Amino acid sequence: MNVGEPGLWLYLLLLAPSAAALLALVPYAGVSRVVARAGSLLALASALALMIDGTSGRWGAYLGLDSLSEVFLVMVASIYATSTWYSEGYLRGVHRPFLTPQLYYALLGAFALAMIATLVVTDLGLMWIGIEATTVASALLVVLERKPTSVEAAWRYTLIASAGLTIALFALLLIYADTGTLDAFALAASRPALSLPIEMGVALALVGYGTKVGLFPMHTWLPDAHSEAPSPVSAMFSGVLLPTALYAFLRVYAILPTPTPALITDLLVAFGGATALSGAFLLQRQRSFKRLLAYSSMEVMGIAVVGVALGGVALYGALVLLVAHAFAKSAAFYCAGNVLRSTGTTRVDEVRDLQHRMPRTGGAWVLASFAVTGAPPFGTFLGELLIVLGAIAAGWYWLALLLVVAILVAFLGVNSQVGRMVFGSAAPMGSSPSTAAEESAAVAYLNVGVALAVGVAALPYLSNAIRAAASLLGGAPP
Amino acid sequence: MIPTSEVVAFVGVGVLLTALFLQSESFVNPLIQGIAVQSLLLAVLLSWLAWTERSVDLALLAGLTVVVRALVIPGVLRRQIRAFRWRSREIHAANRVTGHALAAVAAAIVAWFVFQQTLASVFPEPGAALPFVLLVQGLLMLATRSNTLVQVIGYLEEENAIVYAGALFASAFPLFVEVVVFLDVLGVVLVGIILSIQRDVTGSPEEAGLEELAG
Repeated sequence: MNVGEPGLWLYLLLLAPSAAALLALVPYAGVSRVVARAGSLLALASALALMIDGTSGRWGAYLGLDSLSEVFLVMVASIYATSTWYSEGYLRGVHRPFLTPQLYYALLGAFALAMIATLVVTDLGLMWIGIEATTVASALLVVLERKPTSVEAAWRYTLIASAGLTIALFALLLIYADTGTLDAFALAASRPALSLPIEMGVALALVGYGTKVGLFPMHTWLPDAHSEAPSPVSAMFSGVLLPTALYAFLRVYAILPTPTPALITDLLVAFGGATALSGAFLLQRQRSFKRLLAYSSMEVMGIAVVGVALGGVALYGALVLLVAHAFAKSAAFYCAGNVLRSTGTTRVDEVRDLQHRMPRTGGAWVLASFAVTGAPPFGTFLGELLIVLGAIAAGWYWLALLLVVAILVAFLGVNSQVGRMVFGSAAPMGSSPSTAAEESAAVAYLNVGVALAVGVAALPYLSNAIRAAASLLGGAPP
Repeated sequence: MIPTSEVVAFVGVGVLLTALFLQSESFVNPLIQGIAVQSLLLAVLLSWLAWTERSVDLALLAGLTVVVRALVIPGVLRRQIRAFRWRSREIHAANRVTGHALAAVAAAIVAWFVFQQTLASVFPEPGAALPFVLLVQGLLMLATRSNTLVQVIGYLEEENAIVYAGALFASAFPLFVEVVVFLDVLGVVLVGIILSIQRDVTGSPEEAGLEELAG
């Protein structure tokens, strides 16, 4: 469907968060909020227009689009928009914030811009700069609430993510030294012959970008940063930052000749499987509901990486999983933010009876909780099912079993804790929680609805774009 | 005229020695001086290569290395020590530096060996393994130290490794100057902003091991 000149939408997509980030710095908080909201909506409209148009191509030396980037752009722009809308209420509940609302919205826009820029450039070096820029822009957002824990989390995040990205940069140096170019689109089209520097470069890129994806054992920054960041930022971290880092790896991975070298497949399965399993088991012992969600993200990322390794239908499943998870997990973090604002705690054992105390948030959280843990008919279920089926079809029976165990353990762990908070009758909370946060529950319902629609293929343009993206990477949509 | 291979060898030996020195030191002021010296050594190599190859990019990198990693960030780190009103010896590492030094030597040998076994045939330039060794040393420092000021030095060492690798075997790497500028910006964010917030909130550069962040 032709929705206008794609190049214009592309420039608008970059311009909207840039303008929102700059104009948010005006000295009036109300204007800042309006500008941020308008910018995020404009970015979402542009991303949707590009996906509906479905045009692939290049604009200038460094900008380009294909179906893979369009799917990720819609994810990023959507969660940026919902997080921006959700932020207003959340910020009202933060006492003595480290950042003014203007600076907060400016950094949020810069964070989104860095992710969007990563997704629209064709050069692997520029993608690396984009991922590094996400660290610079988001590190200060983590310390919004000025707590010792949030400062330490920001420090760990910056340092560990940067260390990982240094390894990713080393990987790019190896690839460049062998191929003489970093043009991701050209390299994917020509698929240079397999050489030691390329194979080692892809392996190091997995470790480097995998640090930002939250792969075990480089994941240690993830639960800290996700749990200490303000909830709208946590939603962006879990929902779209981790997939954007995975996207940067996928662009490196796509330069490998087919069939994929066994070493790389084995590495992906090892890292992905270990991440899924460790995330699922580590979340069982979490006392903070935000850390619980963070470990759940780790588990999902691990499963998605296994899907990438398996290719075929599993690769399509991985993309479906990433898209559905982005919406579901952001909804769960919005609910967590509502509860935190109302009760002042993130401890699971201090929150009970949300069904009566915060019925709208409680309801949304139950749905979001099912959605993030792969319950049917949400998109996460479809994605995880396809990955498990892909493992069976490829003869990786033990891997399929491992994935099923991780999925079931995570399902029970997350839903039992959320169920206790929502339906638990004991009421350790001293006073009735404030209900002001309830007004923000609508954003969570919206995102849960999208996660559901992805599962039942009710969004034709998005479903088609995911299919095209999977085919581009050598996957086989069912 | 001095052959380039001798300049590379001279800088390589110096970089390796400073890397091992950094691992074996628990006082922060000598660590800051050590990373500044390492950056200056790299700047010498970059300047030499810039001159022999007539490369503006390498000249820019040499300038950035001197200004940011030999002067500005070390200067800010010294100010942070004073601002923290904190004795300049790393508390937790003081009785473990011997182990760190031994681990560093072992890591250097293993990294060298791995490079020789895998990439030496592709990158036969003299000293091409050293950036890889330096990268491993920086990672080791980040992993073993709990003091944020020392971790910044580990980060700078990693950045030096990247610049070193780029200069030796990928000097035409596109956007390399921009990449290094970004790494420097992140370094400045680390030492200039997050360390200042940490000073205000916790008053100590030592990681607290907070219970809320366990698990």
